[in-house]
Amino acid sequence: MRGKLNGRLVAAIVVALILAFIVNKNWGAASFFDSKNLSTFLVVGIALGGIYAITAGGLVVTYATTGIFNFAHAAIGCFLAFVYWQLSHQYHLPLLLAMAITLLVVAPALGILLDRVIMRRLRDASLVVQLMVTVGLMLTIMGLTLTIWSPKTSRTIPHFFESSKGVQIGSVVATWHRIITVVVALLVAVALRWLLYRTRLGISMRAVVDSRSLAGLVGAKPSVISGASWSLGCMTAGLAGILIAPETGLVVENLALIIIVAAAAAAIAQLKSIPMAFVGGLIIGLATAFSAVFLQFGKDYSYASEAIPCVILFIALLFLPQARLSTGKIRLTKRTERLTKPWEALLGAFAIVAIVGAWANGWIPWFTGTTFGERSAIWLGRGAGFLVFGLVMISLIPLIGWAGQVSFANFAIAGIGALLFVHFGGGDGNPMGIVWVMLVCAPLGLLIALPALRLKGLYLALATMAFAEFTDKVIARHPSLLDPSNSGVLYKPLKILGFSISSAANDRKAFVMFLVITFALLFLMLELLRRTRWARRWIAMSDSPAASATIGVNLTTSKMAVFMLSGAMAGFAGCMLGLQNGALRVDSFPMFAGLPIVLLLAVQGVRYPIAAFMGVLGLASFPAISEVFGNPSWLTQLALIGPGIAAVAMAYRPEGAVFYTGRDVAGLLPWRQDARDEKKLLEAKEREQNIGKDEINDLGLTRPFTEDKVAQLDRVLAITDLVDEKKMVPGGAR
Amino acid sequence: MTEPILSTQDIVVRFGVLQAVSHASIDVVEGRVTGLIGPNGAGKTTCFNVITGLQEPTSGKVFFNGKDITNKNPYKRARMGIARTFQKLEVFGSLSARENILVAAEQRKTWDRSGFDPNAVCNEMLEKVGLSDVSEFMVGTLPTGTARLVELARALALNPRVLLLDEPSSGLNEDETEEMASLLRKFVDEGLAVLLVEHDMSFVMGTCEYIHVLDFGTIIATGTPAEIQANPVVQSAYLGTETVEEAS
Ligand SMILES: Nc1ncnc2c1ncn2[C@@H]1O[C@H](COP(=O)(O)OP(=O)(O)O)[C@@H](O)[C@H]1O
Ligand SMILES: [Mg+2]
Repeated sequence: MRGKLNGRLVAAIVVALILAFIVNKNWGAASFFDSKNLSTFLVVGIALGGIYAITAGGLVVTYATTGIFNFAHAAIGCFLAFVYWQLSHQYHLPLLLAMAITLLVVAPALGILLDRVIMRRLRDASLVVQLMVTVGLMLTIMGLTLTIWSPKTSRTIPHFFESSKGVQIGSVVATWHRIITVVVALLVAVALRWLLYRTRLGISMRAVVDSRSLAGLVGAKPSVISGASWSLGCMTAGLAGILIAPETGLVVENLALIIIVAAAAAAIAQLKSIPMAFVGGLIIGLATAFSAVFLQFGKDYSYASEAIPCVILFIALLFLPQARLSTGKIRLTKRTERLTKPWEALLGAFAIVAIVGAWANGWIPWFTGTTFGERSAIWLGRGAGFLVFGLVMISLIPLIGWAGQVSFANFAIAGIGALLFVHFGGGDGNPMGIVWVMLVCAPLGLLIALPALRLKGLYLALATMAFAEFTDKVIARHPSLLDPSNSGVLYKPLKILGFSISSAANDRKAFVMFLVITFALLFLMLELLRRTRWARRWIAMSDSPAASATIGVNLTTSKMAVFMLSGAMAGFAGCMLGLQNGALRVDSFPMFAGLPIVLLLAVQGVRYPIAAFMGVLGLASFPAISEVFGNPSWLTQLALIGPGIAAVAMAYRPEGAVFYTGRDVAGLLPWRQDARDEKKLLEAKEREQNIGKDEINDLGLTRPFTEDKVAQLDRVLAITDLVDEKKMVPGGAR
Repeated sequence: MTEPILSTQDIVVRFGVLQAVSHASIDVVEGRVTGLIGPNGAGKTTCFNVITGLQEPTSGKVFFNGKDITNKNPYKRARMGIARTFQKLEVFGSLSARENILVAAEQRKTWDRSGFDPNAVCNEMLEKVGLSDVSEFMVGTLPTGTARLVELARALALNPRVLLLDEPSSGLNEDETEEMASLLRKFVDEGLAVLLVEHDMSFVMGTCEYIHVLDFGTIIATGTPAEIQANPVVQSAYLGTETVEEAS
């Protein structure tokens, strides 16, 4: 115990020192002791913190009552803010009425819809699926909002009582909007607390997470409860959205990004304490206001203040208690599959190269037309882009698919790799640069994961998402990585085996071929790796961490290894990403751009290397579909909505398309007797489990008891022959 | 009596207000099966978790081979020679039965320098527990009883010095249980120490040389099977006086 306390103390001191250094280094002109500055800081900070608190509180309520972390929380708030705008500023309803309709009608309806259609199916899903579905929901809602309310028109929601003066606090005027915000935040805090601890509904909401059967015993209907949870979540999200929109503007990305703030506050609350979620929100609000009033980041770190929530999240992770190795929670997925044999993998690799090669050379007749799938320079360029994303996907297979570590950071790592490649040889066309980049990105991948290694898997997802945002706002914008004045192509063509590889129109075919060959090689490598003890250990670790530890697996080092592998692969993808983009801008790697890549891979089946190739085809399908329809305006957001909806559909098909296709096809192949056998076993097992659910009800009523049914029932009900007197005598039964 | 290879001293585990284990001292000796019995919720699984390091005890110590291992990581304990199975299955559901065992055998390579071949060990274990026919199936698709055997084989593949079995017979039918008992016997005769939690009384009484009885977290009796069956405290607290009277 003592050692741990000291460790935390040391960490706290180190963090405090670093923060003090940063604050000191970037201190602006404003004096801290000036009462005007101080009261501005407090007024702005508390008002902002109030809004963050509401959104974080709502997020924690849904997590604590349903066990699902809703990445779409802020996006839902964003959508509802637009609905409010539509009602109040387009239909000119009175503000209060518009708000009432938005928060008391639309929000609960949305919550119940989400619960019925999606969330209820996620209760027993794996963490990977839960994360993919809610992230998919986030992208879907963002895409829909952007489609309905085109971002080309600018919209504003005015502050409440904008015309009246507000209240003088010290030497600062607190506008009515801010005062209302703080009052509302306090009311919401009290109301949530009262609801969860003082009402019957709330108590059953909390009971349901601990044990669904327990909640059933106290007479709560699980369906009503989860519906209520999601409605409540949507209402708080909407309230926060409406309150913050006047501050940030009605901009979808900004509003959806508040999820990082909410996640940081939720981490401070350890995902369960509502009061702490409010405190967390307040801390972030105050920190943001503090930096706005007092700090002046140099031009090298001009966007650093936007990364404050990310940094707070990282710090919060450092101080979270270590997760216990819990037992009794594994879910056995009913998978009928077998290991891919080396020759099959080789065949697959050849097929990938053949398909893409034939397309790139114009040998596929249907894809040589003038528009759709046209093998023009444009489509070759796009093809290279999809393959690069495919490389990012394939870097995720060992990490997410095998080791079960959900990371949203690999696109950001690739971005950093692209920037590094400029300095490490890409600028001169030196292929060795790729190796150096990979060598840097491997430990980078590890570094990002480090704070979350000892925590629950969900925190890793949060940390990596925050890192992606941090990369976009701080790392990629640092002039020593990317000179903002340089707008031209940053890379010289790579010379490999006499081919010139770059994004220039003449080199594109060679580039596509190079990409697909490396892709196929990585595919082959992973398929072979899957047959080694490394992959086995990672999968074991993901299936049951507790059992892995008890057979002597050092979970920490084995996670570290997979993060390094994945980081190195992402680094390679990054070099290609840079080469494919040619010219890079500071905003080339936004956090949201990385998410569809992860989702499309997951949709195909994140455990299978071939899924990365299917993911590439999936990526290619969106512009192709759009072209087929003649690029209508309602399809402009397809690149967001497409992966989003596909990921949401994982609530129904959690294992990924490759799995379902494989399962159904394998049984048809004449030589795959094993697949048929396994399917039979599976059906038998399902029958065994179902007896617990349905058959008990009507046993003895509609059908007579049989001996094996009784035996099965005994097993289901855990009736042991404890009191069987014959067996009391040692060996008496024998 | 020989020196115990594994012993717990005054283990206390508290979950909030609930004291799941109170001052439990358990000794496990090489070359014999030690039973740990008690009604549901008595704290048996919690004791296993403490011994294997999955649960930190509120107080008390765990000794293995004379060394205090109370603060050691679970994986280090496994490397010292403690293996276990779980009451609620903890198999690797997306690996095949063979791979489940192979993972363990390969893991053993990291500390056991005897130059064994993991694949051979794996085959041997599959053979011993009778899983050769289903070795290529994903464990997630296997019936519970079979999956339990996979867990047993996985533990045995570590070549442990102490094996902790948490209700190994649940999900098995009578024949399979008997087979498991004779398999255990073989390993125990070669010097393995087994700590067995089990509800099947004939299994317990027929296999264990020595038994600890746990009730509400407290060890209420220890002794040979015959002594345990004759113990009036045990009879009233656990076995149910009525039943015992009928049996005698
Ligand atoms: N992680 C935990 N948190 C809270 N209570 C627990 C936990 N694990 C076990 N318990 C409680 O401790 C008691 C002993 O449980 P257990 O060791 O599983 O009993 P047994 O294996 O003898 O049936 C039970 O009342 C159980 O509910
Ligand atoms: Mg138990």
